[in-house]
Amino acid sequence: MSDGDGRDSLKFLGERENQQWKRKKKKLGADEFAQAIARIAVAQVCEGLGFQSFHQSALDSLADVGVRYIREIGKTACSYANLANRSQCNVFDVIQGLEDLGSIQGFSGASDVSHSLSGSGVVKDLIRYVGQAEEIPFAYLTPVFPVVKQRTLDPSFAQAGESPPDEHIPSWLPKFPEPESYATLSLRNEKDLETEVVNKTQLVEEQHRKVERPLLNFQQKLICNGSEAGVVVEQGDAAKAQRAAESNPFLAPPLQYGEKEVALPVLPPKLLDDPADYHNSCVVTDTNLLTLEPSLRPRETERSAPCEPEDRRNILLNGRPSLQFKFGNGKKSLRMVTSPRNESIEKVSLWFGDDHDGKDKTNRKAEKILWENTEYPPEVSHL
Amino acid sequence: MNGQTSHQQSKDGRHDDDAALTEFLASLMDYTPTIPDELVEHYLAKSGFQCPDIRLTRLVAVATQKFIADVATDALQQCKARQSAVVKDKRDKQQKDKRLILTMDDLSKALREYGVNVKHQEYFADCPSAGLDSASREE
Repeated sequence: MSDGDGRDSLKFLGERENQQWKRKKKKLGADEFAQAIARIAVAQVCEGLGFQSFHQSALDSLADVGVRYIREIGKTACSYANLANRSQCNVFDVIQGLEDLGSIQGFSGASDVSHSLSGSGVVKDLIRYVGQAEEIPFAYLTPVFPVVKQRTLDPSFAQAGESPPDEHIPSWLPKFPEPESYATLSLRNEKDLETEVVNKTQLVEEQHRKVERPLLNFQQKLICNGSEAGVVVEQGDAAKAQRAAESNPFLAPPLQYGEKEVALPVLPPKLLDDPADYHNSCVVTDTNLLTLEPSLRPRETERSAPCEPEDRRNILLNGRPSLQFKFGNGKKSLRMVTSPRNESIEKVSLWFGDDHDGKDKTNRKAEKILWENTEYPPEVSHL
Repeated sequence: MNGQTSHQQSKDGRHDDDAALTEFLASLMDYTPTIPDELVEHYLAKSGFQCPDIRLTRLVAVATQKFIADVATDALQQCKARQSAVVKDKRDKQQKDKRLILTMDDLSKALREYGVNVKHQEYFADCPSAGLDSASREE
């Protein structure tokens, strides 16, 4: 086989591309072996007919078409068998498939709808072909492929003669791997574990504020499990874990219940008397506390991320100032509310656009300066 | 009566056909198709064809061989037709072009009859401006 004009196309490729192309060639797909055999078989057929050489691309295309033909016969035969409520294919299924594929070119008796399959034109053509064509055996001895590798499965508990560590694990399941085999793995995944531990500590701190006991007990169980995992890591490299814990408080093992005294939030008496016309503050009752705090805490922690962790701890744990949230209907109403309430407000939520007193004044001053020269200063509020 | 005879004839005909088919399948065991059995079995298994009978595999192999042979014959005829057309112009070329080469052109023309549309890239360029403007290239 030699390439004729096809090789000229490679002249345009630079050297670099040639090397890349060679490198790509080495990457063999899953079907390379079968395709190579198909190419050889097709080449032999063509040679028997009188061809003396091929273009590589032409041979590849013809081999691919031949492979697709085989697959198409298989597909149609299988579908005909399934249509007849069978799972295994019949010679008549194959003949019907051949008829379907041969209907493009046509065969004798195709128009006769009720002909018997055994006397089909396709079969007759095949018989004629076998009779006249010379037999060209395949050039190589092909092994049976694909070769199925014998997998050695992990031994189960029963096979190893061990009893599973817990009752809920049946003995026919495979054994757990040795702890040494995954201790080194845990170091590589330390970052994932760190984030997990951090999330768990945050969760614990949040739920310590709550008064509900059942949730707390559940969380305690989670912590226990988490600390078990943490213990495994530390067994692998205790010094590193300790150093990490010292530098970053979020990597420290979570606090157990009762370890640290946590003050419950102090509600200012004024909030309890509020008519709640323009704003609903969340820290009125315990239940409200429960519903809104979880949404608050993560956001607050996110917002005050640049602060140092110790400050945050102080803010959250020791004598926190009470928080008020204003949920206003419109911007104007908010503005009207803030001015009379300025004295009673200690801390105001920032993300509704409300500023502190000082900031209000400076903003108003800035506005005044800006609009000094204009005739019509804006009537709308600075919000 | 006539219907009965025709029915009888068709029955005999079908019987002959069945016999012919059975005979053919038996003869397949002697005839070794060029496409190896393992290859055919591999691709048939991929498409869900389940049959332990090796005669069916041989039948599929023979059918595929016939198909490839038909396509190749058409391509060969195309090639010969092209060569004979060329020969009409120059007698010298006939001495050189005795070799029959399976080219993409002939193959795509032959395959079009069978419903397979194959289009081959005429050339590959290494940069987008290749072949666009020959004047600028000379400079």
